[in-house]
This record gives sequence, C-alpha cells and structure tokens, in this order.
Amino acid sequence: MSKAGTSKRAGEDINKQQKKIKNIDEVLKLVKKLAEQGRKNTTAERSLAELDLAHSVREVVDKDADAVLDEIETTMLEVAQSILAGNGYSFDIPSRAKGNQLYVPELDRIVLKDTVSKRPFASSQACRKTAITTRILGLVHELCNKQINVTKRDLFYTDVKLFEDQRESDAVLDDLSCMLGCTRSSLHVVASEKGVVVGRLTFTEDGDHIDCRRMGVGGKAIPPNISKVSNIASDALFILLVEKDAAFMRLAEDRFYNDYPSIIITAKGQPDVATRLFLRKLKLSLKIPVLALVDSDPYGLKILSVYMKGSMNMSYDSSNLTTPDIKWLGVRPSDLDRFNIPAQCRLAMTDEDLKTGRKLLEEDFIKANPAWVAELELMLKKKEKAEIQALSSFGFQYLSQVYLPLKLQEGDWI
Amino acid sequence: MSKAGKGGSDKLQQKSPAEFFAENKNIAGFDNPGKCLYTTVRELVENALDSAESISVLPLVEITIEEVSRARLNTLRGLGDHARVDEQLYHDYESEDARKKRLAKEAKEKQRLEKLAASKGEAAAAAAAADAARKAADGKKAGPARGTLFYKVTVKDNGCGMSHADIPNMLGRVLSGTKYGVKQTRGKFGLGAKMALIWSKMTTGLPFSISSALRKQDFRSQYELDIDIHKNAPNVHSAAKLPNADGWHGACLSLTIEGNWSSYRAKLLKYLRQIAVITPYAQFSFQYIAEDPKSSLKLTFRRRTDVMPPPPKITKHHPSSVDLELVKRLITETKATSLSAFLTREFDQVSKALSGRLIGELRSGGVNASTDPKQLSSQQVVRLHQLLHEVRFADPSGSHLSPAGEYNLRLGVMKELQPELIATHAGDVRVFEGHAFIVEAAVSLGGRELRPGINVYRFANRIPLLFEGGSDVITRTATKRINWGSYKINQSSDRVGVFVSIVSTKIPFKGAGKEYIGDDVEEMVSAVKAAIQQCCAQLRVKIAKALALREQQQRRRNLTKYIPDAAGAIFTVLAAMAGSDPRGPKRRRLQDSSNLLQQVARKEVVQAMLEKKLAEHVERIDTDMALEFQVAQGLAGGAAKQQLWLAPLCDKTHYGAELHANACVVRLLH
Repeated sequence: MSKAGTSKRAGEDINKQQKKIKNIDEVLKLVKKLAEQGRKNTTAERSLAELDLAHSVREVVDKDADAVLDEIETTMLEVAQSILAGNGYSFDIPSRAKGNQLYVPELDRIVLKDTVSKRPFASSQACRKTAITTRILGLVHELCNKQINVTKRDLFYTDVKLFEDQRESDAVLDDLSCMLGCTRSSLHVVASEKGVVVGRLTFTEDGDHIDCRRMGVGGKAIPPNISKVSNIASDALFILLVEKDAAFMRLAEDRFYNDYPSIIITAKGQPDVATRLFLRKLKLSLKIPVLALVDSDPYGLKILSVYMKGSMNMSYDSSNLTTPDIKWLGVRPSDLDRFNIPAQCRLAMTDEDLKTGRKLLEEDFIKANPAWVAELELMLKKKEKAEIQALSSFGFQYLSQVYLPLKLQEGDWI
Repeated sequence: MSKAGKGGSDKLQQKSPAEFFAENKNIAGFDNPGKCLYTTVRELVENALDSAESISVLPLVEITIEEVSRARLNTLRGLGDHARVDEQLYHDYESEDARKKRLAKEAKEKQRLEKLAASKGEAAAAAAAADAARKAADGKKAGPARGTLFYKVTVKDNGCGMSHADIPNMLGRVLSGTKYGVKQTRGKFGLGAKMALIWSKMTTGLPFSISSALRKQDFRSQYELDIDIHKNAPNVHSAAKLPNADGWHGACLSLTIEGNWSSYRAKLLKYLRQIAVITPYAQFSFQYIAEDPKSSLKLTFRRRTDVMPPPPKITKHHPSSVDLELVKRLITETKATSLSAFLTREFDQVSKALSGRLIGELRSGGVNASTDPKQLSSQQVVRLHQLLHEVRFADPSGSHLSPAGEYNLRLGVMKELQPELIATHAGDVRVFEGHAFIVEAAVSLGGRELRPGINVYRFANRIPLLFEGGSDVITRTATKRINWGSYKINQSSDRVGVFVSIVSTKIPFKGAGKEYIGDDVEEMVSAVKAAIQQCCAQLRVKIAKALALREQQQRRRNLTKYIPDAAGAIFTVLAAMAGSDPRGPKRRRLQDSSNLLQQVARKEVVQAMLEKKLAEHVERIDTDMALEFQVAQGLAGGAAKQQLWLAPLCDKTHYGAELHANACVVRLLH
C-alpha cells in the first residue's frame, strides 16, 4: 500500500463524514438528552454514614477557619500539657498507606480505614517528622488566624532548613488533613495553579466577576482556592474535559464553545487538586454531563481514573475531589479504525504501556463499565496507541470542526 | 623455512605443535613482552602449586625476577661488546632535524627562565632550572628503562619434583603427557611452562636450567636444555646429578626472557595478591632484583592456615559431555573387551544395569553386551554417541572437584584485604553440559586497597582472572543482577569486594586468551547470583546491627536537635491562643480544665520551659533505650551471662573471717 493511496482514502472518509454533520441543534440533540437524564438521575448522594461498613472509616470534610483553628488549638494545648507533665508528646496520624485504603463500591470511591500510627517526638525514627508536623501545625494555625492562603511552595520556604525537601512538607500536610479531619484546602494551603478553563461560564472569584468567554485563547487559570469561587452560572450543555494543553488551545482558538455551548477544562496532564475540585463544583452546581477527550493510551485512562476515583495519595479526600460520572468521548481505541487514523500517527505500545493497560483491566472502575473493558481490550489486542494530536493528520481543525461534532451527533460516548 | 623451488610454492608443509604455539603465542597469553613476563610467572607459579598439592605438602613458592641488562645478556650469550661503525644506521641516532628541534626547544626554555628570573628573582629561576634539569634527566633515565628489557625468572617450589629421566620430555615437548580422563586443572591450555620456554627461546635464545629432586632422593637432577621448536623435541645441553644433602624435594626452574616489568608490575603484584587470597595455605615470597638496587622489591605473602583442600581427582567422562571424537578415542584406548564393560568403565554415572538398558537401545544396530567395542562400525559409534546425548543420566557428583573451601576463601580475603565485614558462601554442586561445577563466593565490606564501589575478584579453578573482566559472568552478575540496595549496601560509595571462585572440570572460558567466563551459560549465571546473594543476605544482618549501633550512639544528638523547632512552634501557637478567645467547643472544654493559657499569658510558662521539659523527656527515653539495647546486645552476645558458683556449706569446708572491702565481703576458703 503506497502512502499516497492511504492518504487519499483517508481523505474520502473525511469528506463522507463531513457531509453527515448536520446543523448544530441536530448535533446537540443527544447531548441535551443526556443532560436531562443526568438531571433526573441525581439521586441523593449517599454518605459513608448511611452505609453499614464492616470497617470504621475516616473521611475528611471542608471546615471553616474557626473549626480548623479549634482542632489545632486543642491539639497544641494537649501537646503542651503532655510536655509540661514530663511525658514528651506524640501525634496520632491516620495511615495513608495502601493497606489502610478501602474501596467502597456503593459510593464508588476509596476511603481510609482506621489504622492510626503514633508519631512520638522521642523516637529516633519519628523525631524529625514529628518536629516537621509540629512546625507545620504552627504555620497552619497562623494562616487560619490571618485568613490567608499560601501555596505548598510558600509553606516549604518558611522553614527550608527544617523541611529540607518540599516532598516532606507536602506529605506532612496530607497527614495533617487526615489528623484534623478536614480537606487540604481548609488548611489554607493550596497547590499552585495548573488547570485552565474556557467557555460559557461565569463566576465570581473573591468578588471579581469572571467571564470565561472573554479569556482569550489561553483561558482562565483555575483558581487554587475553590472556596472563593461563587455565583457559578452557565448556559453550557456539557463540560469537555481535555487531557492536553495542545488540544485545549485548538478548541479555545476555534471558539468551539460558541458553536457548541460548552465549558472546556484541562489540567495539562495529571490533574491537580484545584482542577478536580473545580470540576466537581461545576458538575454539582450545573448538573451537566462531563465528556472526556483523552489520548488513546493507558495513561489517558489513568488520568480519567484520577478525575473519577481520586489518586491513591489523596484517597482520604476522595469524596470532595472526585467526579464519578464522566463519559469517555474519545479518542477511543475503536476510533483509530473508525476514523481511519493513518498508520504513521499510531504508535506501538511499549511493554510498560501494556503492563499498565493490563493492570487497568483489573481496576474496579473499568470493570464496572463493560464498554470500557471492551475498548481497553481492543487497545491491548492491537497494541497501538494514539494521541489526540493524531487527528491533526486530517487538518489542524479536524478536531473541532469534524471529529467532536460527529461524536456528539452520534452520541458516541460510553 | 626454505623457499620452495620454481613452480613448487604450494608444497605441503607440516607444523610441529611447538611451532604452532610459537606462531600463535597470543592465545596462551603471550601477546607482548609485558604480558609475557606476567604469563611466565603465572604459569610457573601455578605449576609449583599443582606440584606441591599433588603430594599434599603445604606449598612454599619462591619467585625471583632479576633484571638483566643487554650488556649482561650479551656476556651471558658470549657476545662481545660491539662498537658501532656507522652511527646513522641505528634507531637512536639523532638526525639533523631532530637536533635542530631539540636545540630550539632548549633555547625556548632558556628564554623562559630568563624571563622568570627578571620577574621573580634569582631563587625562583634557580628552582625552575633545577626542575627542568631534573625533568630532562628523568626523561633520559626513563628512556631505556621503560622499554622492554630482559629478565631472569626463577621459581622454586617444594613439590613432587620430576624423575631424572623424565625431565627432558616433560619440559622439552609441547603437548606431552596429556592427561587421560577429566580433572579440574589450574592451567588453561595444559601448556604449563612450556610456552614460557618457547618464549625464552624466541627472545634470548638462552637455554633454561632446571634442578629437581623427588622425595627421599639423595641427588638433585641438574639440567640445561631447550626446545627444538621445529622438531618439538627436547635439546639437552647438559645433565648432571648433584648431591642433595638437605633432603630438598621439588623443582626450581630458571629462564631468561624478554619482558617489561614497569608496565606489568601492577598486574603481577595484583596476581600474586589474588593467588594469595585463594590459596591462603601457601606461602609466596617474591623478589624483584633490579640493576638499580633502589627499585628492587621484596614481598612475602604469609601462610595463614594449614588446611589444604584435597587435590582434585581424575574422574571419568560424563556421558552427556562427550563428543564423537572423544567416543572414538575412548574406544581405541579402552582395555575393556565388551561393550557393557566399556560403558561402565569409561563413563561416569553408568551402572551395570544402565549399561544393559543402553545396549538394549542399540540392539537394533546389531550390537549386544559382549560386542568388543573395537569392532564397532563407524555407524554404530555414531549411534552410540547420539544415544549418550539423548539419554538422561544422573548428574556428576562433583566429589572429584576441589573447591577452595569457604574457610580458606574467608581466610584469604581477611588476610590480604582486612575488610570490616565479610560473608562467605559455598554453593552446591551444579551441572552444565555434563560438567559439574561449584561456585563459592565471598563479599566483603570496607578494608584497605578497595575503591568505593563494587570490586570484583574472579577465580576460575583457583587461579585469579585479571584480564577482560567486563563481559565476565561474575562481573556482570555482581554489577548488574544484584540489587545491592536491598542488602543495605550502597553500590557506589561502599567499598565492596566481591570474590567469586568457580571450579569445574570444564570452565566455559571465552575470548582468545581464555581470560573470562562467558555470560551466556544460564546455569552458571544463576549459581553465581545465588552465591553472591547468600553472602549479601548474611551481610545484611551484620550491617543492620552496625547501623543499629551507630543509631544508638547518635540517638541523643538526633533527638535533641529538633527540640528548639518543636518547642518554638508549640509556644508560638500557645502565645497566639493566650491572646485570643476560643473559636470552638473543643478548646473551650479543654481550657476549662487547665489554666495553662493563663500561665502563658502571665509568662509563667515560657518557651525555655517547654524546651527543658522536652529535653528531660528525651534524656529519659534515651537512657531507657540505651539500657534496652545493651540488654538485647548482651543477651545476644552472651555477655549478660555470668558464671555462678554455689558455695558448699557442709562441714567439710571451712571459711576464714569476713574481710570487708568497699564493694563486697569476702571469706577465704581454708
């Protein structure tokens, strides 16, 4: 088969498909239906307390500054008393290890079991960690008192000599959220912004009115402090979750959201806490479907899983971070042949990819959806992967002008 | 070789084995003068060890290398001093161009010195001039010394010696006396010292001298001989029987060869050290006598044990390991008159019953148990060979092998490298292609003369392998297949010594000089890996203990280090709390039951107080833990146990008056 032949045939395909795209209202018919369904199906979310679990489990909730202060001050007071009584002191830190994590199928999320590890000051193994914990507790107390937010990096730099490595202060921060029973954002510590949003969305951030239609092609950075976001309003029909910056830029520049009322979000790869919080907040307040556009490789699915199930590291906070109901729009392994993606845009999967893929097949959130299992099995069978950019082989605007409309029109999501 | 006449250039020529080796001397490790010196010493030393071990005598090997200048060599050869007639004919003649260059360089140097003198004064210039002069002198001196020279190598042992009549044939004929059967041997080609003799003949042309005596022999044989390379036959110059008053037995070989001491000095010493590691029951004394007494050298590697591994035994061929040619050879050499007897007598692991079953398989080819093996047709021999490879035989037992032994390996490493920690392991007998092999390993940590990182020492059939280590199975396994981190060993900063000794009837050598063991023999890879891992597992326990001890010593410092940080953070929060009202119910409840915050507000509780209390607590914990550690250590080490005597109180014993001391009261027994 010559190269010219391939591209010619692919060209015919595009033409054929292009004819099929109907007017915008027709295209969005199925999306509207999905949105309605979603609104109807919103059964009251079940909480952990309603389930009769064999283990006692721990979850964290959003707390306001006063509640957090109360927790910290109580802890510190107890610590000081213990020291003055001559007993040294120790913290009870809930274990975040994998062995202490529990998947709750009824809620479709991971929670922590009740294993707690002591962190005594007078122990050579724990001494340093205890000192760091104490220090960060003090810093968070100050933040809550002053009602200001800092980034994890800021926090690290307040006492570099003691923390030595940002990973240490970050880990202790997670420990503290578990210990105090509040989310990380309640500690007034945020991750630096990474996610971007663009589209038919308006909200108020710390008193400023934000209109995401007027954010240029770069989009609006998702605010790290979600509690300052309010008055969310939108006439969008769906949220489009994009894995990568490049695809996001294409859609933003083409003003995809003007033709197809939507909100486009990307976290540029692995989603950070802020993006996940933001997506969850949008989904809860707007009640519109979330469609995902990720690479057709195991890594794309992994990213989806973080949005839906939460990461292992932050499992204690999964109830506040996850958006369980996400539809996989593309690029799906079956799309590669359906859209005739040329061979030079497909990549062979490495051994590492195959291993990750096989592991994903074992995961509950994949197994829960037979259509996903079928797609993943197809990927592993063909041993081929492709990025969203593979669609650019039919022209740079193919993604926004042909691929997505066609997918929406056919209701081709699973 | 004589040129053939016209048209007869393709005359068939035959080469003697000696000629073949003379032309391909690199395969036996004789690549360049430096390596030749090394290999010569090596071959002679290994012969000496073999000889002493064969009669179960603790080896004592004396090695002497004596520098021989060209002038002395010429007198030895009977050549007079030669005065050059035409200077320009020679290598070292300084041509006109070279002289111009040299003069220009000297002028430049002079200019530089003058400049220096102008800027820094006389003293500096004088020093620089002296420096330059020394450099020039060095260059001149190094010139001839760095090049190849001639050396007289003498190796004396206390082995079995050779009988007077056999000496010419044993030393003067290459490939003579090949051993029958299979045996673990030190040498790699069975050439022994003969290659060295050929090398000496090729470079200096001087004959070599041997003196030797058997045990309880009242005379010493003294020979001067060399090899007729073309005929592969000994050429005896002189033979004599000298009195042997002190009852010495063994052999003393002395030969003069071309070599290069300066470039192979390090290798030679490394070899001697390593052979001393693997044979701690031998004593080596090494002496290097230079023309200039300042660069002479004397070393002794002491014997540290009297325990000697049993000499390797000759065993029969394992049926899985034979090739067709070997089967044919065995048939021609056997004394057995029936096939059944031939199979049981010539092969390992073939019992009478098994030979019957084997012959049963051959019956269709028209043979039976009483067939004379010498009457087998070539087809029948081929079938027999095939059968031997198809049948599953029991593995060779390995009892014929002679490993160095864990004890000796450990001792050797300890005496030569003095490591801080060492672990050894001897693997079981394993088999590849019908050849039994045993892998022994030692892993050491710390010690002198080791570079940080993994230092690999390789031994095959109890001789050190020094060259081409990169692709060796031992090197690759030690550096690539062992996860050192999991044994608490840092691969790049700890001084790790890995010693692996493999013994077998057939070592799967690779490379032209048989300098390394192939990495492609799976059985060997897994055996080496397992042996090293065993050592590491032993070490891990010791390392963990050492770490615990260090932790013990540093604990208090580590604990007190963070007291200011912690106390500071706590007090800051307390101070802030003292100045504000409770925000929630929890604190309110707690605050009601204590007046701590009021104390803070009244400055009755300050940061220093928290620090003091914490320090006291840490100290108490530290003491507790130290005590606990000591008890655990004591119980493990047996130090906590004390002998107890019960004093009899019957009327047979009488005690004196009580003697009061500060610590105790003593009553002496009468």
